[in-house]
Amino acid sequence: MAGDRSISFRNVSKSFVARGERFTALDDVSMDCPPGSFTALIGPSGCGKSTLLRLALGLDQPDRGDIRIGRLAPREATASGDTGVAFQDPALLPWRNVEANIALPLDVIGKPRSAFRDRIAELIDLVGLKGFEKSLPGELSGGMRQRASIARALVTRPGILFLDEPFGALDQILRRQMNIELQRIWADSKATTLLVTHGIDEAVFLADRVVVMQSRPGRIATVIDVPFARPRPKELFTSPAFHALNDVVTTALHGA
Amino acid sequence: MTLRAGWLRNLVILLALWELLGRLHLVASGALPAPSVILLKLWADRADYPPHVLATLEASILGFLVGNAIAIAAGVLFVLSPVALRLARGVNIAIFALPPIAISPVLVLTLSGMTPRVVLAALGCYFTTMTATVLGLTQADARSLDVVRAYGGGRWSMMRLVQLRSALPSMLGGLRIAAPNAVLGAILAEFGGGGRFGLGTYLLGSLGRADPPRLWGIGLTATLIAGLAYAAFAILGNHIAGASRAVTIPAAAPSLPGRHSRLASILLALAAIALPLVLWWLLLKGLGVPEMIARTPAGIIDYLFLADSAGSAQSRLLAALAETLPITLAGLLAGLAFAFMLALLVDVAPALGRSLMPVALVTQTMPLVALTPLLVLLLGRGTAVTLWITISVTFFPSFVTIAQGIMMVPRPALEVPRAYGAGKLKELRLVAIPASLPYLFAALRLAVPRALLGVMIAEWLATGKGLGNLLNQSRGYLDYGMIWTVAVVAVLIAVVFHQVVIFTERRVLPRLGMTTVE
Repeated sequence: MAGDRSISFRNVSKSFVARGERFTALDDVSMDCPPGSFTALIGPSGCGKSTLLRLALGLDQPDRGDIRIGRLAPREATASGDTGVAFQDPALLPWRNVEANIALPLDVIGKPRSAFRDRIAELIDLVGLKGFEKSLPGELSGGMRQRASIARALVTRPGILFLDEPFGALDQILRRQMNIELQRIWADSKATTLLVTHGIDEAVFLADRVVVMQSRPGRIATVIDVPFARPRPKELFTSPAFHALNDVVTTALHGA
Repeated sequence: MTLRAGWLRNLVILLALWELLGRLHLVASGALPAPSVILLKLWADRADYPPHVLATLEASILGFLVGNAIAIAAGVLFVLSPVALRLARGVNIAIFALPPIAISPVLVLTLSGMTPRVVLAALGCYFTTMTATVLGLTQADARSLDVVRAYGGGRWSMMRLVQLRSALPSMLGGLRIAAPNAVLGAILAEFGGGGRFGLGTYLLGSLGRADPPRLWGIGLTATLIAGLAYAAFAILGNHIAGASRAVTIPAAAPSLPGRHSRLASILLALAAIALPLVLWWLLLKGLGVPEMIARTPAGIIDYLFLADSAGSAQSRLLAALAETLPITLAGLLAGLAFAFMLALLVDVAPALGRSLMPVALVTQTMPLVALTPLLVLLLGRGTAVTLWITISVTFFPSFVTIAQGIMMVPRPALEVPRAYGAGKLKELRLVAIPASLPYLFAALRLAVPRALLGVMIAEWLATGKGLGNLLNQSRGYLDYGMIWTVAVVAVLIAVVFHQVVIFTERRVLPRLGMTTVE
């Protein structure tokens, strides 16, 4: 599968019925994420960015259009274990300890946990949860739970990573820390990544390009390339060039 | 700690009062013996008890295992396939609403040995556990389910990895109520005859002996077994799941949203009505019940409308109904009214609620109807006994349902009138009473089958009137047609009653901006 880790959306439309009224969440959206790229989706509430991600995961079906992960349809790709996902809510199973929660995708796609023992230990180390392997989610802080869910997303060594506001519930300080860590993890894994976020600075710091969406109906307003060299240091957050690009995204969002 | 000390103190006071009443023969000239006398009699009868207790326990445990296994499997099936749930709706409602005593003779006729008791015990478990399973499985965290689905997991993966485990507290809560229900079912089947041993058989056999201490001994033993069964699962539930929430009896058959066209919905509804009849017919044919004893749905129509004796059967049935229905309604309304008033009183004086609620929660799971002979002893064989039995079986579950509903009124809603200087009564009128309406309906749904059960048992064992008596008489005359007819009519009445409540509820509540509670 390696080498074919692109994500493509072709003329995707999706509408929902809520309280008897039909509204268009996505209207004819086309987008390509080349292999190994990092794309951030940003936009006002209700612009359909999370819907786009749910369609790519096969959690919902588009009304029209086609979505491909490499050459595969979403459900085929996710069942192969080549995709990883983290949501805003860590959604850890309260009765499983950290290790067992990280191993959940293995249980779903039917791979033996024993073959991944080293991988799990390595991930626990990577997200800084060493010593908490046997802890239950209820015993962890919000940030620790979120890091466990990132580790869960990476357990299958996915070629493609979907992140739906994974740090949305964290405070600003923790969020920046996690951004820096995520960049490191992403550079190691070389996974094609699609990040849905509300945070302008998060999007600019992490992504190769920022896709700005507009709402009612959900469409792509504009795509902004992020030229900063990698690895990006944490000092970038305070640099004038970073702020200038933040302002470009902000302007695009307000126009949207 | 103080709560427990208070409990102990109340218990001691109660026992002392009881002892005094019993010693002085103050109640119905000795019908209420002193606790010490009952204990002495229990000791004197100790050789009689083991076979009876064992027989009841055997049927209860077997029924509990079978009923719950079916209930959990059905719950899982219903969640995996909403169509199956719709198809089974008729069966589910019938099992929820049927008064066990009504089908007890039919079971004794068609099945042999311990089987009728096991079946009735299993039926007592099925509904609560099935509902608890469906509820638990569908309330699993949607985000966790998304994670599993995001890795290509299908329905079964979601069930295996997330839903079954997260449903555990709910399922254990269901088992907690199912356990005493199994004991009650076994005892009611014993009332229906068949077999020499069992606490129900022992109770019936001792009814004519004018020996109150023995009847009380048996009644208390049955209550103790049911109570222990409840407590065992309560402790297990707390231990495994840390579930300490109050458990109430489900008052509605579960339903899940399904996307069906209008035609498909109508077809499914028709199939759901037909399914109980088909199962009934299949069971009779499958078991090979002799033609003379068995009655298929067609056989009952024949007996009641077409046969030569149809006229006499009809008039006997109508006469019985004319006796049973009014008192059922009266008892039902009185039980609900008491429950409603006490629930409001608890809202005014919360301390009262804190001490009453644990008692009510336990009492609603007790085999109250199995204690009917004791009430007969206390109240005689007149209409009063029917009324009180009916009130006693409808009161507790209604009280728990309504009181919990009032407790769930959000505090800010109460504080707004209070902020404008409303007194306690005005607060009740403006907030608590309207807010309790959905729970009043839920209590009504719960109380309907119980009221019919209470009345029929009282009629069977004590008053010699109405449907209960007709059933008992027909047993004596080997009038198989009438036995089947009464069973079916009783189930139909309970189901129709139940559906009328639901129909009214669905008209009234939305108009007031309220939703139905399960």
